[in-house]
Amino acid sequence: MMADGALSFSDLHFHWPDHPPLFAGLKLVFRQGEITAVVGESGCGKSTLLRLAAGLLSPTQGIVSGGASNRSLVFQSPNLLPWRTVASNVGLPLALTGDGSASTSRVQAALDAVGLGHDGEKLPRMLSGGMQMRAGLARALITAPDLLFMDEPFAALDALTRHRLQQDFLALWRARRHTVVWVTHDIDAAVRLSDRVVVLGGQPGIVQAEFLVNLPRPRGADLRHDPRTSAQVQQIESAL
Amino acid sequence: MRRLLPVLVALGILGIWGLLSTRYPPVLLPSPAEVAQELVGPHNRLWAAAWTTFFSSALGLLLALGVGLGGALAFQRFQWLEWGLYPFALAMQTVPIVIIAPLLVVWLGYGVPVAVATAALLAFFPILTGANLGLRSVPQEQLELFQLHGASRSKELLLLRLPTALPFLFSGLRTAAGLSVIGAVVGEFVGSFGDPPSLGALAMAALRGARTEASFAAIGVATFLALGLFAAVRWAERRMIGTWHPGGSS
Repeated sequence: MMADGALSFSDLHFHWPDHPPLFAGLKLVFRQGEITAVVGESGCGKSTLLRLAAGLLSPTQGIVSGGASNRSLVFQSPNLLPWRTVASNVGLPLALTGDGSASTSRVQAALDAVGLGHDGEKLPRMLSGGMQMRAGLARALITAPDLLFMDEPFAALDALTRHRLQQDFLALWRARRHTVVWVTHDIDAAVRLSDRVVVLGGQPGIVQAEFLVNLPRPRGADLRHDPRTSAQVQQIESAL
Repeated sequence: MRRLLPVLVALGILGIWGLLSTRYPPVLLPSPAEVAQELVGPHNRLWAAAWTTFFSSALGLLLALGVGLGGALAFQRFQWLEWGLYPFALAMQTVPIVIIAPLLVVWLGYGVPVAVATAALLAFFPILTGANLGLRSVPQEQLELFQLHGASRSKELLLLRLPTALPFLFSGLRTAAGLSVIGAVVGEFVGSFGDPPSLGALAMAALRGARTEASFAAIGVATFLALGLFAAVRWAERRMIGTWHPGGSS
């Protein structure tokens, strides 16, 4: 395990009951304060890897180190509870952990941070898909997590909303620099947002390649049209 | 238009019924006017009977709610309990209530308790299945959210499983509302001598006395009771889930 690893897998094995092994001896380190994207073909185990990292699944064998720290997950869908107001959804992790300290002000701050400051009393169904994802992001960030996991968080959004939310996410990350591990099919977004891109593949799954993204920060929306982005995307696509 | 159509259909049925009743003797098919006379006529025990049947149905429905929801919660908590008991709950539904009702008279004696029990027996199964399905219908990602933040079992139940189950529970309750009236009336057929007066006993006595119009009136009132209970369930459903669940507001 590397000294700066916020989370690491050592000799990780995992298989679903009555299924061939998904991972058999996987080694991987997610570094402190970095954004790491995990890419790979459908079914290669990206979401399972994320759930193992988040502690939602236990490995069949091997060790996940560092996963016990304060962690949050942004799901593929907004995953809001439809009977609770937006504010109540965002504050849910505090209610679940019993951390009610200044929860109203923390919820308002989290809503303000994602641009939903005036929508707290609405029900989720009154929000657009993009706004619901923002609420999901606010909920994940309200506990000030050390580790943030995201499972294809932008996949269900239209292009314009996706790019806006990605920029907002980068701004929020700059403020805290927490460790982020996220899963995506979008190689372009993986390059523009991340410090490192891990290519997962094979049966059982292994790290086929790992790329350090050589783009300067802060990264603006203009990076979408930057030739360096395209070059790095091509490099990663060739490893898939 | 949506509200007017059922009224027009009802008027059409009344018209056809009125025409047909002129061709048959009242003992076979009384006219709507004769049935109406029975409903509003003096000295009838219909409304007192309706109150008894309503009481039995409503109490039976509440009992069924308690047993059905309680059973579903126990099934959700202990899977082995579901494996052991669900087949018997299902089997109970396959036995006709008219066969069970005389047994209940043996155990409970004549009177209201039999009608309450038959109402509850008939109503509890849709509530049990609805609640059971609802408690298990929580999306995996929502369960993961609760697991991730270390939610206790009681918080998961109160803040996630029960709200998720509400639309399913109300769906079962809507079916159960009508069944509870059927159950109560069947219980009264078998287990009521007419004191206190009940719709089931009244309908039975009317048929024995060849007073078909009184039987029709009892059937009509029982139908309105079932509709009334259904409306009460819908009212509660709108109040509890109408703002966030599409089924609750329609």
